[in-house]
Amino acid sequence: MADGTLQVRVVSPQKIVFEGDAAALVAPAWDGMVGILPGHAPFLTLVGVGELSIELPGGGSRSFQVAGGILKVLTNRVTVLTEYAGTEPPAEIPAEAIVHPEDVVASATDASS
Amino acid sequence: MAGAREVRRRIKSVENNRQITRTMELVATSKLKRATDRVRAARPYADALDEIVRSLYSPWLAERFPLLRQPTETRRAAVLLLTANRGLAGAFNANLIRETRHQLDDLREKGIATELHIAGKKGIQFFRFRGEPMETARTDIKDAPTVTDAESLVAPLAARFEAGILDAVFLVSSEFRSAMSTPPRVKELLPIRPGAASASADAFILSPPGGFILGRLLPLYLRNAVYTALVENAAAEQGARRTAMKNATDNAGEMLEYLTRTYNRARQAQITQEIAEIVGGAAGLE
Repeated sequence: MADGTLQVRVVSPQKIVFEGDAAALVAPAWDGMVGILPGHAPFLTLVGVGELSIELPGGGSRSFQVAGGILKVLTNRVTVLTEYAGTEPPAEIPAEAIVHPEDVVASATDASS
Repeated sequence: MAGAREVRRRIKSVENNRQITRTMELVATSKLKRATDRVRAARPYADALDEIVRSLYSPWLAERFPLLRQPTETRRAAVLLLTANRGLAGAFNANLIRETRHQLDDLREKGIATELHIAGKKGIQFFRFRGEPMETARTDIKDAPTVTDAESLVAPLAARFEAGILDAVFLVSSEFRSAMSTPPRVKELLPIRPGAASASADAFILSPPGGFILGRLLPLYLRNAVYTALVENAAAEQGARRTAMKNATDNAGEMLEYLTRTYNRARQAQITQEIAEIVGGAAGLE
C-alpha cells in the first residue's frame, strides 16, 4: 500500500480543478496543514484557507489556493471539495472557511452532555 | 395577377420568419453546449458532497441541527419555482407553472399554508396575472447561474425553516435528462432526508468531530442542491428552446414548399391563360 499512488480530485462547485495521480499532498485543514501520503487512514476534515500542493508521481508539483470545504481520504482516493480554488488567494475569504476552535469545543461539549 | 402577388408576399414573410427561428435555434444550440458543460461540471461536487453528508448523517444528530429538523406536522410550506426569464421555449415554462399549481393545490387541500417564491420572469408574470401573492419574485438570475445566486435564494428559506416558521420547502425545476427530455420535477429541499450511507463515518478519522463537520456541510449541501437545479434548469431551457425553434424552422420550410408550389401554379395558370388569349385572338382574325 505504502508504495502506491494517491488518486486526487480537487473539485469546486463549478468544475474539477485537478484530477490525477499524486505521490503526496499537503493541504490546509481548518486547524493547520495536513500531509497525506499513500496508505493514509480514512480521514475527513474541514478545509481552511491556504495553499494546497500536490506532488506528482514523476516529480514536479501543482499547487492551488483554496478556501473552505472538506477533504476526504478513503483507500488512497483523496477528494477535496472546496469553495474556492485558483492560482491567486481569494479576494474575500468565504465564511465557510473560518472555523473558530471555541465553536468546535462548544459543539463537542454539547454532544457529550 | 393579384393571386400570385399575394402568394409572393406570404413567401417573403415566411422566409423572414424562418430566418429568425433558425438564428434562434443556432443561438440556443451554442448556449445549450455551454449550459450542459456547466451541468456536467457541477455533478462531481454534488455527488461527492452528497456522499459525505450521507455518511455523516445519523438520526440522533438531527436533534442538534435546526436544519435537520423533521417536523411531525407540516403547517406552512414554501414552494420555490425556477422558470426562464424568456419565452419561446415551447412548453418549458408552461410545464413548470403547471407543476407548481398542482403542488400548491395539493398542499392547500391538506390544509397547509403555502407561500410562493419565484425566480424567473415567466413564472412571475403568470402568477401575478392570477393574483397569487409572491414572497420572492426575482428576475436577476442569468443564463450562467452562480453559487451566489443559489445562496441568496435558499438562505432566507433555510433561516425561516430553522426558526420553525416553515415546515417544508419544495423546489420546482426542470430535470435535465437530455436536450430533448426536460420534464418538470418537484424536489423536497427541506427537511433534509439523507439517504442510506454507503460508508459509515465511524470508519473515518474525523477532525473536527463529525457533528461539527455536518453542521458546516448542511448549508453547503442545501445551497448546492439549489445551484444544481439552477444550472440544470438553464440547460433545460436552452434545450427546450432549441427544439421549439427547430420545429418552427421545419414548419416554415414545409410551408414555403407549399406556398412556392401554389405560386408556381398561379404563375403557370397566368401564362396558359395569356397564350390561350393570344391563340383565341389570332383565331378570331382568321
